[in-house]
Amino acid sequence: MSSKEPKEDIYTRHASSNLSELAKSLAEIMNPEGKADVLEDVLVLDASLGNFAGIIAASLFAEFGAEVIKIEPPEGDPARQMTPFGSNVQGVGIPFLFEARNKRYLTLDIKNKTNDRLTFGKLAHKTAVVIETFPAGDMDSWGIGYRQLSQDNPGLIYIAITPYGQYTDKAGQFARMPDADITAQAGSGLTAEMGDVPNAGEPYNWPLRAGMWAAWYISGLSAALAGIVALLFRQKTGSGQMVDVATMDAYASMVGIPVSIGYTWEKARPRIGVLDFILYPYGHWRCKDGYVVIAAPRDHDFRALLKILGLWEIEDDWRYSSDRIPDILDQATHLHKLIEKETTKYTADELVRMALSYSKKSARSKWRGGGVPIVMKLMTPEMAMENKQWQIRKTFQEVEDQKLGKYIVSTNFVKMSASPPHVKWVSCEIGQDNEYVRNKYLREE
Amino acid sequence: MEDYFSYTAKLFNPAEAAAKPEALQGIRVLDFSHVIFGPVAARILADYGAEVIKLELPFFGDLWRPATYWGKYWKHSNPIWHNITKNKYFLSVNLKLAKSKELIYKMAEKADVVVENFAPGTAETWKIGYSQISKINPQIIFLSCSTYGQYGPMRYFPGWDLLAQGASGVLSLNGYDDRFFKLPDYLGDFVPANFGALAVLMALYYRHKTGKGQYIDIAQTEALMRLLPNYTFHSITGGKIGRTGNTDPTMVPAAIFKSQEGQFLALACATREQFQGLTKAMEREDLLSDQRFKSNWERLKPENAQILNGIVTDWVKSKTLDEIIGLAITHTFPAAAVEDDYTICNDSWRRARGSVILFQDTMYGELMIAGPSAQLSSTPSRTKWLARPLGYHNRLVLKKFLGLSEEEIKSLEKKKVIGTFDDRPGLKPPVYYNLAEDPIYNYGKEAKS
Repeated sequence: MSSKEPKEDIYTRHASSNLSELAKSLAEIMNPEGKADVLEDVLVLDASLGNFAGIIAASLFAEFGAEVIKIEPPEGDPARQMTPFGSNVQGVGIPFLFEARNKRYLTLDIKNKTNDRLTFGKLAHKTAVVIETFPAGDMDSWGIGYRQLSQDNPGLIYIAITPYGQYTDKAGQFARMPDADITAQAGSGLTAEMGDVPNAGEPYNWPLRAGMWAAWYISGLSAALAGIVALLFRQKTGSGQMVDVATMDAYASMVGIPVSIGYTWEKARPRIGVLDFILYPYGHWRCKDGYVVIAAPRDHDFRALLKILGLWEIEDDWRYSSDRIPDILDQATHLHKLIEKETTKYTADELVRMALSYSKKSARSKWRGGGVPIVMKLMTPEMAMENKQWQIRKTFQEVEDQKLGKYIVSTNFVKMSASPPHVKWVSCEIGQDNEYVRNKYLREE
Repeated sequence: MEDYFSYTAKLFNPAEAAAKPEALQGIRVLDFSHVIFGPVAARILADYGAEVIKLELPFFGDLWRPATYWGKYWKHSNPIWHNITKNKYFLSVNLKLAKSKELIYKMAEKADVVVENFAPGTAETWKIGYSQISKINPQIIFLSCSTYGQYGPMRYFPGWDLLAQGASGVLSLNGYDDRFFKLPDYLGDFVPANFGALAVLMALYYRHKTGKGQYIDIAQTEALMRLLPNYTFHSITGGKIGRTGNTDPTMVPAAIFKSQEGQFLALACATREQFQGLTKAMEREDLLSDQRFKSNWERLKPENAQILNGIVTDWVKSKTLDEIIGLAITHTFPAAAVEDDYTICNDSWRRARGSVILFQDTMYGELMIAGPSAQLSSTPSRTKWLARPLGYHNRLVLKKFLGLSEEEIKSLEKKKVIGTFDDRPGLKPPVYYNLAEDPIYNYGKEAKS
């Protein structure tokens, strides 16, 4: 081992001392421990079944301190078994463990048992938020839909999550169609935009699934966001309302870009592999020891990148200097390969240092035009966990449960000085809080 | 009892949305942000009724104004920009001048929320950071957006959506063994922006109860990390989920397939019931008694998953898209066509629902934009106007919100404290648009006869 500086140090830049002081005090101010639970007075019933969009929305409420009661039949929510390659801890899948944040577990089979529906109705009477993912109209036909529950509880916020929503003809025709992440990714426009270029051969040029539950997370996040909007309105007026999330909206509605392009261009974009529709260079390249991510899209950033990589001779070539927009695929791919030829000569850390030292000089020089090419080492999730930045920011938390043992979850996704989200417990056994819920909410008065 | 869908059709009727109350009415937001992450967080607040005042530099404006796909402009504006920044007031002030800061401080007195996404430390250096604004207004909710956060050794690193995808691990997950792709359309900005808005709304809820404001530090990398159970998978198994092409390893079968006529579609079985439905549709109920596919746990094993996905691939190849969707409804398993830019904006149900809106704008005329990803029955999100040229609301904001006179505004213009657009597309109005007769641009000026 050479006596070089520790690895992370290349990512440390120094600023004036008063800003460093500020950052130090921020780390203390943002410590989530002992902070207020903003939703402590909010009771949430999560009746979602086999659908992680509902579970995720419920988790977000629970992380902000709401009392969340997860309702599932005696055999458990089938979502417990949705897990990569079947990996599980005592029959509980990894995604379910990951989302088991600060929740209570009550056994009720509202899909099949009339009595359990009555119990649910009693609970819902005291509830601020209901989340459900049954086929549109099922809860209503069981007498526990928004229409019925809101009569006794006008402040109720009722969140329904389904593929095609609660209204329109299509919602009626497709009401029985169950939800899955991959179908919602496909149906909301995400997969069509991912995948390799048309001549890459099959299956690489096919629409590609995002390698995570993109549609379910977008839908769950959208549901929670709409839920807190509704809670704010309820705080002011006392009135509840119904919230309708269609997972087939997830991607297109969140980014909006497919709609704008489909309308103004009157056709769909082709798949363009690693390129970007607006910016270039804006992607990842192979290097000696893995991959780097490079963003140098503005003209002065791009020129700086050429200098750093020793490619200055192509600067006055019109193809690269003034027209890097990848509408001519061959041209953009050619440039991509020219850059790759250079990046593969260096390690990721070397490339990061080269870009950094240029940017530092560039910031002070009127001759360098202020170009800031951003180069970073590409991380896998497993590598990212080890990064000092996230240790300092407590992004990952080791949780422990008597039955499930110890494991790590990503948490503290936003730092708030007064009312941050935080994970307090993760236990999630079926029916573990039956007694607690009955004593607290279902005692006859 | 009334039919459920006729009840919900009335409850959510998009034609009535504009007349319904707004949950964030009376909330004022100062939006110092640029590009996508900060602006979208602020726009979500505007969509629910907050007054969002967006600050930009005169004659320069937001970096993203001219950034359209393949350089294609629409009516001299960036069509994508209309989705990112609608419903806002566009004020163009030169932040570098002391006089501008006076204006900002005065606005901050009555603001509820500030949103910024400069490189960490910049807002403080320019004296518009939380430590300065909270002195003027202790109840302020101040949202700082960045790629790596406001503290920690990486804080000064610049970053965009792409860098957050690269730093969280998201970028490494999409694709095949030998190649992978980023999430498109700057999803690494849009998702964190929604988390940012969520945090602001939580802070408003808290302030309403306690009277206290707060500081919020959102790092887009951390927001993306909230979406990945991969870390938990690694800590429990020691292995990694990695890339699995276009199959979903959490349910089997689950993949993208090609139909008889060459249409792409996704099909999945998330539960045992759904798998039973699929085997019925395939007339392959024998699969249910096959040891390899009997239970969820068996089907999820990679070797069995590969075989079953193969069997389904062949079956899908023998059917048309419409046949598969029909069977999926009858036998209740998830299936959906792969939709793209064009099909999404032409789906009639999305328009009926209000997920896709053909919006009539007073400046730009008709443009199709995306509706919200959640519909609320009493306080729906709505679009009131599209993006506007740089500095379009200077007069309205300074007169209505700050009580400045026409003379004071003229003097600010002369001193270049405030300004407007130059001739670049993305900054200016459509060339045929007559600004001289626009009552908002000329707010409070004497009408020309």
